[in-house]
Amino acid sequence: MADKLERVVVEAQVPLDYTYNYRVGPYIERYIKGLGDKKILATKCPQCSKVAVPPRKECGVCNKIMDEWVEVGPEGVVDNYTVGHVKIEKGLVENLESPALLAMITLDGATVPLLAEVKGMAPTDLKKGLRVKAVFTDPAEDSLADLSHFEQVG
Amino acid sequence: MRKVAIVGQKQINAADVGKSRERMLFELCRDFYKEMGITRHDIDTFVLCSNDFYSGHTISNVFEDCPVGAYMKDETKVEADGVMAATYAFIRILSGLYDTAVVVASSQGGSVMRPYLQMDYSLNPTYDRQVDLLNEVNAAALQARAYMDEFGVSEEVLDKIAARNLRNAARNPYAFNGKTDVTPADVANSDVLYEPIKAMHCYPFTDGACVLLLAAEDRAKELTDAPVWIKGVGDLLETYYPERDVSRSKSVKSSAERAYKMAGISDPASELDLVEVSAKFSYQEPIICEALGLFPEGSAGDVADRGLADMDSAMPVSPSGGALGAYAFCAGGLVRIAECYRQLTGGAGDTQVADAHTALAHGQDGLFLQHNAVMVVSTEEG
Amino acid sequence: MRNVAIIGVGYTPVFVSKRKDVNIVEMMSESVDAAFRNTGLTPDDIDAVTFGNMQTFEGLNLPHLWASEHIRALDKPVLRVSTGGTVGMSVLQAAYYYVASGVYDVVMATSWEKQSEGDSQVGLAGIVLPEAIAMVQHGMDLFGIKGLGFGGGGSTGAASYQAMSYLHHSGASPEHIDKMAALERSNAVLNPYAHLRKKTTVEDIQATQMVAYPLRFGHTCPTTDGATTCIVASEDMVKKLTDGNVAWITGVGYAASDPCTANFLEGQITDPAEQMPAKIAVEKAYKQAGIKDPCKEIDMCELYNGFAHQSLMWLEKLGVCKEGEAHQMLDAGALEIDGEMPTNASGGVFSTNAIGSSAMNRPAECALQIMRKIEGEHQIPKKIRKALSHGWGGLFQYVAVMILADEPAKS
Repeated sequence: MADKLERVVVEAQVPLDYTYNYRVGPYIERYIKGLGDKKILATKCPQCSKVAVPPRKECGVCNKIMDEWVEVGPEGVVDNYTVGHVKIEKGLVENLESPALLAMITLDGATVPLLAEVKGMAPTDLKKGLRVKAVFTDPAEDSLADLSHFEQVG
Repeated sequence: MRKVAIVGQKQINAADVGKSRERMLFELCRDFYKEMGITRHDIDTFVLCSNDFYSGHTISNVFEDCPVGAYMKDETKVEADGVMAATYAFIRILSGLYDTAVVVASSQGGSVMRPYLQMDYSLNPTYDRQVDLLNEVNAAALQARAYMDEFGVSEEVLDKIAARNLRNAARNPYAFNGKTDVTPADVANSDVLYEPIKAMHCYPFTDGACVLLLAAEDRAKELTDAPVWIKGVGDLLETYYPERDVSRSKSVKSSAERAYKMAGISDPASELDLVEVSAKFSYQEPIICEALGLFPEGSAGDVADRGLADMDSAMPVSPSGGALGAYAFCAGGLVRIAECYRQLTGGAGDTQVADAHTALAHGQDGLFLQHNAVMVVSTEEG
Repeated sequence: MRNVAIIGVGYTPVFVSKRKDVNIVEMMSESVDAAFRNTGLTPDDIDAVTFGNMQTFEGLNLPHLWASEHIRALDKPVLRVSTGGTVGMSVLQAAYYYVASGVYDVVMATSWEKQSEGDSQVGLAGIVLPEAIAMVQHGMDLFGIKGLGFGGGGSTGAASYQAMSYLHHSGASPEHIDKMAALERSNAVLNPYAHLRKKTTVEDIQATQMVAYPLRFGHTCPTTDGATTCIVASEDMVKKLTDGNVAWITGVGYAASDPCTANFLEGQITDPAEQMPAKIAVEKAYKQAGIKDPCKEIDMCELYNGFAHQSLMWLEKLGVCKEGEAHQMLDAGALEIDGEMPTNASGGVFSTNAIGSSAMNRPAECALQIMRKIEGEHQIPKKIRKALSHGWGGLFQYVAVMILADEPAKS
């Protein structure tokens, strides 16, 4: 009987790690193409004039299709920020050697803030209202990573 | 409209319950039905509440039905917070097709899965998951900062809120993360994750389950001498996108307004005797309570300094310790209702609030408090 | 209890294998927009939204959060229901309860699946994965006779047990499965919202590969991208918002059995073709709808048939005919669009399977048939007074039923 009990499986590790093929849809596709040309594209609501970046199709407030495309940035203002002392990798919290700066940035011409990394400055200098500028990956990789990060203007 | 009451609750929360989900649910429900003096055949409909991601199991309820006694019974599953599942069970009874309903919520975030990873899976896969910047904790940090900046609230206030909840949790046998003599300074000294969020501001990873029995008026009175009536419900989903003002919660406010209207409550601050809120991070508590109309906007500092949310105050907030004491995702919100039930029936032991007749429970889903639900319960049949 | 009606339906413009042109939320919004177009309503008319799909199939946890404004659910109460294959019907039943309870007056139910983005058989394997791992650790043979159910041929492997049992008990032959398959594929040709729309003969079906006896490839459903939205309303709102041409929900039923895991660990309790929950659910729904003799009173059926033998099986289990009679009805032509008991005039799940919406398409098709608003050529010629719709899911264990009618139930 004792032998049998030891055979009971108490724990089984089953990673939930499938590959999915997400279609980004025409809006994100055009946004990615724009990044390749160092342009940040947004869509505008014909009714409330909301300018959304990354672009999306529907304005849920007005029940309208956002079909007008506008270019925004590359400069913008820090709206909100946090300094990360950890990173979360696959759900596990890991300490960072040097802090990472994360900011909500309202790009010039946009009304919806964009979450992005800010680099090249001391954590204590990161403040609301700070002007920052987009840095693009060169040469472009045709992915969302083409908008690499933001840096302080000047 | 029919009257519907909660007639019983049972719950379990632990860092690791040491048994499978099915076993946990089976033992919980078996013991609960025994305590209630019923069998599974007395239950007209079962509303389960679990999540495929949190269970690591496609169609998470397939192996839950038999353990909870739903074999050959009317059954459904809500994949959201437990307050929404309880709301749905309430609505099912209101429809007149059922007289009794069981709501069972469960999750094993303590031992089976990684909660922060599962929250990542709820992000927009065409953008946020690709750029890989947003997660549950830095979203909390951004929202905490928004609230603090909007109303000039300091980090110490978040520490005080966490310390109060952890102390409350220490008196609650159903919470496992309580810390008896914890001080705001202890919280302040815990690891900084994303400023201003520290480790002790966050909900603990929890294995847990909660079961409630709901019944229509006649059945409720047969089943118990002390029914707790469901007086009002409300829930609201906000936008996923970061364009909304996260320093306040429009959805908590509107869902509370719906529930208050249904419950005939015009002055929640005086008519509610306590609230149980799902503040997964300490900063969320004032945002939620202010949206509930309990305290003025931006008053977190004042509330903390004057102890206005303490267990012996006029408006005890989460005397159970709230989500900082234990938070098993789907069960998280349902536990809040169960705690209100314990309070209103005088069964809350060391966390008992004096003279409690009407209470509100709150549950949430998503980042930045995107989806909120509330339920108002009362001992007054009305 | 208040009377509740389906006042309008919206489908995505197409149901196909791969919607490469849109992302998930853009696809959902197409069916929502169609429902608004077809009813003349706007999001302001909607009090609450119910929502569902099979979430692990797209690897999206709580997708209603992201979908919020795309499905026009912004700042509205939203209930996410998720019950596996039955989810479409569960979502619609939730909308029904919402309105019947008196808490809300007009509710939108939306369901969807974009199967091309994930791997459905992997998603399905996730149902039994914990058990499968335990089997391996017990040293059991995953690919032997016990594991064959899911190890061999995915869900088709599991369904083959059911088909065998059904054939044994009903007296139907494998050729009847071929015939039912050909009939439904031919119906699908007439339905612009069907996925597999190729005129198919019995011989075409018989020429397809055998997956797990008695099921051939031609007996199995496709994997589809698509979404469906239904708007339901209370009797008062029907008067206010519509011309009265609506489909009334007169009965609902749902029942759960035990998971039928093809004898993995503890021994199989249930015959997968017994489907006791079907009897429990449908009896309840018939009683609520005041239906005493379903064989006579039901005018049409839309049944959830992932596999072709199931159309025949469900007709019997749901009491539309006696046990063992379904294949005789098929032979007599009764199941054809102009027959006595038109069954899956839409082509069924067997021809279109965007899983999340599959069980909603069934009542949606019944509603459109009752309202005579079928787009395409599969409108049933006779007047439909009472229709039976059905959903099926879990691990062979959930059955959902909804009865629709051209008149509200008499109180």
